[in-house]
Amino acid sequence: MNEKTRFMLALITPAALVLVLFQVVPILTGANASFRDWTLHDPKRTWVGLANYIHVLRDQEFLEIVLPNTFGFMFASVALSLVLGLAIALMLNKHFPGRWLVQSFVLLPLMVAPVIAAIMIRWMFNDQFGVVNAALEGLGLAPISWLTQRWTTFFVILLTDVWLWTPWFALILLAGLQSLPPEPFEAARIDAASAWRTFRHITLPMLRPVMVVCIVIRSIDAFRTFDIVWTISGGGPARATELFSLYAYVESFQFLNLARGSAAAVIGAIIIVVFALLLYRILNRFVEVSK
Amino acid sequence: MAPARSEGFFAALAPRGKAVLFALTAIAICLLFAFPVFWLVLTSLRPGTGVYYVHRGTEFTIDNFHDVLTQEIVVRALFNSFMISTLATVLSLGVTATSGYMLSRFKGPIPNAWFSLIYIFRCVPYVAWVLPLYFVTQQLHIFDSYWGLLLPHIAVHICFFSWIMKGFFDGIDPSMEYAAMIDGCSRWGAFWRVAMPAAIPGLTALAILCWLYTWNEFLFALILTAHETPILTVVMAQFVHELGMEWHLMSATAVIALVPALIVTLFGQRYVIRGLRI
Amino acid sequence: MAAVVLTNVHKVYGHVVAVTDINLDIKDREFVVLVGPSGCGKSTTLRMIAGLEEISGGTIAIGGRVVNHLQPKDRDIAMVFQNYALYQHMSVRDNLAFGLRNRRVPETEIAAAVGRAARILSIEPLLDRRPRQLSGGQQQRVALGRCIVRNPKVFLFDEPLSNLDAQLRAQMRLELKELRQRVPTTSIFVTHDQTEAMTLGDRIVVMKEGVVQQVGTPLELYRKPANRFVASFIGSPSMNFITVNVTAEADHFLLARPGLQFRLATARFPDLGSRVGRSVCVGIRPQHIRLGTPVNDKQIGFKGTVMVTEQLGDEQLLAVRLGDGEIRIASVDPDLTLSPGSQIEAAVAADNLHFFDDLKETQ
Repeated sequence: MNEKTRFMLALITPAALVLVLFQVVPILTGANASFRDWTLHDPKRTWVGLANYIHVLRDQEFLEIVLPNTFGFMFASVALSLVLGLAIALMLNKHFPGRWLVQSFVLLPLMVAPVIAAIMIRWMFNDQFGVVNAALEGLGLAPISWLTQRWTTFFVILLTDVWLWTPWFALILLAGLQSLPPEPFEAARIDAASAWRTFRHITLPMLRPVMVVCIVIRSIDAFRTFDIVWTISGGGPARATELFSLYAYVESFQFLNLARGSAAAVIGAIIIVVFALLLYRILNRFVEVSK
Repeated sequence: MAPARSEGFFAALAPRGKAVLFALTAIAICLLFAFPVFWLVLTSLRPGTGVYYVHRGTEFTIDNFHDVLTQEIVVRALFNSFMISTLATVLSLGVTATSGYMLSRFKGPIPNAWFSLIYIFRCVPYVAWVLPLYFVTQQLHIFDSYWGLLLPHIAVHICFFSWIMKGFFDGIDPSMEYAAMIDGCSRWGAFWRVAMPAAIPGLTALAILCWLYTWNEFLFALILTAHETPILTVVMAQFVHELGMEWHLMSATAVIALVPALIVTLFGQRYVIRGLRI
Repeated sequence: MAAVVLTNVHKVYGHVVAVTDINLDIKDREFVVLVGPSGCGKSTTLRMIAGLEEISGGTIAIGGRVVNHLQPKDRDIAMVFQNYALYQHMSVRDNLAFGLRNRRVPETEIAAAVGRAARILSIEPLLDRRPRQLSGGQQQRVALGRCIVRNPKVFLFDEPLSNLDAQLRAQMRLELKELRQRVPTTSIFVTHDQTEAMTLGDRIVVMKEGVVQQVGTPLELYRKPANRFVASFIGSPSMNFITVNVTAEADHFLLARPGLQFRLATARFPDLGSRVGRSVCVGIRPQHIRLGTPVNDKQIGFKGTVMVTEQLGDEQLLAVRLGDGEIRIASVDPDLTLSPGSQIEAAVAADNLHFFDDLKETQ
């Protein structure tokens, strides 16, 4: 082993150690647990093969509610945040009086913990005392019991996530916009391109690399959402808004079946890793992304 | 060729009309983002009886804050969250800096393997390993303690921030390090005395992001702590799920939790933008 | 008719004056070059003509029509940028067609215009490629194609050759001249390179710090520079400047400095009369100095010491110490062997002397 290799390894040794102990080992433990009969009150730990996996994959709750919820949430949240974030970035890219003020407001959600955001918005949608229902009543409409039905609860959760993550998209897309060279846009002005045509044929293609990276990162994170769902609805009503992470958590710590929870988590892990790799491949072929 | 014909709705609006539309949109955006926070602060300033008609009440009080800050668990949670955030940031920076540097300066099977490892683990849902971490930390006797939280956080930070670090180091000209090595520095010396100082703007930006991320983190804190080490985000979420919850106290706690984040963001915004020249 | 007329045009950015009081009368189909060091306001002026910058004062008229308040797209102009500004995500064909499509020209006309432009510039085989796949020279031709496809009244060029290497630049200069013959259009060309200015322009506008120094044909600028700046800027290697004191004698002026003195007949240089008792800056082009003694009384002579020789193959350049100053001599016979330190005698025709009152060093 030459000196260069030794240096390389030395650089990553502390990180590798932490990673191994606190990520690899737990994942392996979890994977191991998923193949055994391992409940928290009666850890027999006998090998049961794929029984837990089959149980999860056959679970109606999982197939009909959790999976659609998670993917639906992922697509809706990313799509909405992207479009809104792009619109805001385009706005902030122009100079106008008070721009710094708007920018500060837009950055506000970035420092708010997801848990806090969930609490704030949950309070706003409180069916007896929340401001949203009060506004509805003021407009002469009937108040809605937001957190007792599946789709309205879902709406509140989605709203929270979009509130939290639109600024992230806006910030990164703004940085992207500002790094674009001005000359093609000047040429487009001379070429009589309307605002829309400039956006569609020039801005958008040039922003594509940044957008794709954002979409991949955010999709992966959206899939793993836990904080806001737990805080707003706990997965309710009656487990109707459970996402992936919640399902695994519930199995492990409420049904006390660590094995099933781990199996669910492993299935989720496989799904998202495959998804991420696929997305990364499409990325690299579709657009040149610097590693 | 003749000049262009008109191009649609927005061009048809007089410049004044466009400006008004723009201004209205800008205001709407500000309101949408600020409103929940504003409402939270307002709620926290209402006395217990008035909280149920926040929009109609006229009384203001700071008793809620007083009540909340006298609760032992809240004070301990505040302290713990602060310590964990700060310690995790400091330790993570060191570990991710070397990791990112390695990815930036070297090519070949080892960096590729490390990169792939990090990328894969970045994608794995937390749930998959947090649950077993519950056991691992118990086995190592660090469950419900500082180290029990710090080390898993550092593991996550490695995956999150290594490639941002790589980006920073990519932007620093390696010729300076070669010059240093020719001048007698070891590789370590070149890293420590040439590359790291040049990366300080990026490191500052990352430190701020890292601190904020850890301060706001929930899932790890939920699973890896119990009664010994209360963490602010968990304490708040648990308040929410209690029956007969008192929203005025809840909002006061949330506002208190927001203050450090606000300070760090306001103070650090300049550094983040400077350091993260994407 | 596509004359471009600038009247009292000036531009300020806050408190900084970028361009002061420009008056230019560019005739139809004339090729005018704006040249000067960076920061002189040439690009700003061009961009004001294009409509990419607001005009702070004065008027700009294209084809007899004042365009101050017109958008770039309504001025019937086309522009070539320094880094081409091609639309990277469209094919060459779409790049050329973009401007026409925006103006809702029928597709058949577009196809004809694109085909014609591609033929003129010999880029037909490239029509379906992306800009990324083209070389620098090819991209520049596509940028030119974007100009001619719309048949505008004026072409504007913003340092289009600066990104090309020296050889390619020389080739593109020739191609630009050929293009001019096939598509004669009023053109305004900005560059910092005086060689480009001299070879391409019908007339040249020399600018410095926002002010026009001189407007004239290349030969006018070379032979009769209006001030020291223009004299030093035009011509390569650049002009020598020697400061001398002027005193009057019987029927001569004596121009002298340590190590150099010569006399000029009062009758032939009456302008020197106003400089008697003061100093004046004498400009001599390196190419006008000949080695040897003066052959007639219309030449002046001086002696100097060779410091450095530069062999160029077809000529030599000398750096010669003259008193306490240094001058350069060009067009020296390449076969002459002159060692540093050797004494030489040189002569220059008195008619080739330029006189400037600006004694300060120019930038």
